[in-house]
Amino acid sequence: MPTTAAQLSGKSAALEQQVRTGRVGLKRWLGPDYRLGFLFVLPIVVLVLALVAYPFGYAVYLSMTRKYVGLPPVFVGFENYVKLTFDGFFQRAVVNSFVFTFGSVGIKLLLGMGMALVLTSQIRFRSFWTGVLLIPWVAPTVVSALNFLWIYDGSLGVLNYLLVKVFRILPQGVGWLSEAGTAMASVIAVNVWRGFPFFGISFLAGMKGIPGELYEAAAVDGATVVQRFRHVTMPGIRNIVIIVMLLSTIWTFNDFAIVYILTKGGPGGTTMVLPVFTYEMAFGAQRLGEAIAAALYMLPPLAFVIIVLARHMRRGRAK
Amino acid sequence: MVRGGGRPSQAATDRLQSAVSYAVLLTLLLIVIFPFYWMTITSFKGEDQMRSLVSMFWPSPVVDENYRQLLGKTDFVAWFKNSIIVAFTSTFLATAIGTIGAYALARLRFLGRAFMASAVLITYLVPPSILFIPLYAQIRNLGLADSLTGLIVAYPSFTVPFVTWLLMGYFESIPEELEESAMIDGATRFGAFYRIVLPLAAPGLLAAALYAFTQAWNEFLYALVFITDVKLRTLPVGLSSFITGDVYGWGYLMAGAVLTTLPVIAAYIYLQKYMVEGLTAGSVKG
Repeated sequence: MPTTAAQLSGKSAALEQQVRTGRVGLKRWLGPDYRLGFLFVLPIVVLVLALVAYPFGYAVYLSMTRKYVGLPPVFVGFENYVKLTFDGFFQRAVVNSFVFTFGSVGIKLLLGMGMALVLTSQIRFRSFWTGVLLIPWVAPTVVSALNFLWIYDGSLGVLNYLLVKVFRILPQGVGWLSEAGTAMASVIAVNVWRGFPFFGISFLAGMKGIPGELYEAAAVDGATVVQRFRHVTMPGIRNIVIIVMLLSTIWTFNDFAIVYILTKGGPGGTTMVLPVFTYEMAFGAQRLGEAIAAALYMLPPLAFVIIVLARHMRRGRAK
Repeated sequence: MVRGGGRPSQAATDRLQSAVSYAVLLTLLLIVIFPFYWMTITSFKGEDQMRSLVSMFWPSPVVDENYRQLLGKTDFVAWFKNSIIVAFTSTFLATAIGTIGAYALARLRFLGRAFMASAVLITYLVPPSILFIPLYAQIRNLGLADSLTGLIVAYPSFTVPFVTWLLMGYFESIPEELEESAMIDGATRFGAFYRIVLPLAAPGLLAAALYAFTQAWNEFLYALVFITDVKLRTLPVGLSSFITGDVYGWGYLMAGAVLTTLPVIAAYIYLQKYMVEGLTAGSVKG
């Protein structure tokens, strides 16, 4: 059957039409910018899968095995979790972690709020003060921990020198990190020192966003300083306070470097927090399965905090 | 309220308020600065002075033996190089991947965008203390344990989500009309991104890169776990290995601490404005 030119062109036009609608369909389905979008997001997808999702899945699996370094894992179900639940050392690490976290976050909240309020009051050289106060946050954590290890030193440390020789508050030096009574407070102090500037700067950013007219209106209505703080400042920075506290809760609960360098969990386990416990279990005792179970034990509350926090952070952005 | 007498004048209240402010600021300043001051003067003190507790707050005499010992007799120089390599490479990777990813997640419309945006944020929030053991297992399976490459591969797991999240905020704050009008004038989507959006987001890029660098420079847990060869340590792990409980160690340990802090603090002092803005944009934007 002879094919006419008209038929041919009609066919190709139809084909073209088909291709075009196909692409339109694809665009409707995958979104108008799907090609550049997929290309640009691809590295992140690979990264999240390879460096977070896969290790995480693997961790869940390993936590249900008996695994020693260099040997294949043996599946044991929830045995590791059950064992940990009744392990006195683990229970203690959980309690210590909560004391460490809530102690630190609470003090950081107070200090950070103070810092932000002072920085919003009428002062000169505001950006200088802001800049200097943020230094602990950018300095390497390990350096800060080592500095405090030296400051706390029982015999030659400057803290004892100040308290005993200069201010004469104490009759004799204290082994800040080696005595059970002071070790936890001492490591909390270092975490607070490093973390409170982040609270302060974030609160400051929030306070700057509150319209000045609100304060003027409150002043006209005769509100006191305290009332202005309660009814204008606090509602204005509520979301930021929640975000910063939750962020810091996650970071503090999982802080490894400070405790590891200052005490390694000692003396006698009084500062043993979960990340250090996990590390020692994995690389000291070489019991990987139990170590990962210890790391994942707190996952349900952690996941809850992360989800609530992510929601708040996205809402903060949407504004 | 007593009329005329009891109420302090506005000026007096202001003066009291600013006095309190400055007192609080000075106290905080002392607390923040003292450890760095102490680190620096310790690094210039000699052994004898440190042991005898004389002239606590100033080195006398000022000596450079700690620095000479640190640079000459320890592996500090090698560690410094390692830290430079790892921090620069992972900063470059994180900024490149994070920039295009953040642009796509902030601007482009495609299937799965909202899901990926959430995934990035959640990844940013998952702490390393949960991931370090399986990640170590994986790095070892890839034959990258005990190598700087292993760290360079692992560090994007925390730098990329942070950079992406931070830059998404920046891109969202740039008016979309600028790109639209460029595209009406014939620019492609990529052209609009490259010529219009990227230059406008430069401060954000700088802040993101600086934070990625700081995070990589300061990282401790992965470097401690992944590296066993002494020569391949990064600065934080190398420094912490100086802890011996021995008084003679503190001088060169503090000298090392000074040299480890300097690059970060220098960058911070020079580019403080961007970092302060970036910090508040990265976690919180209200």
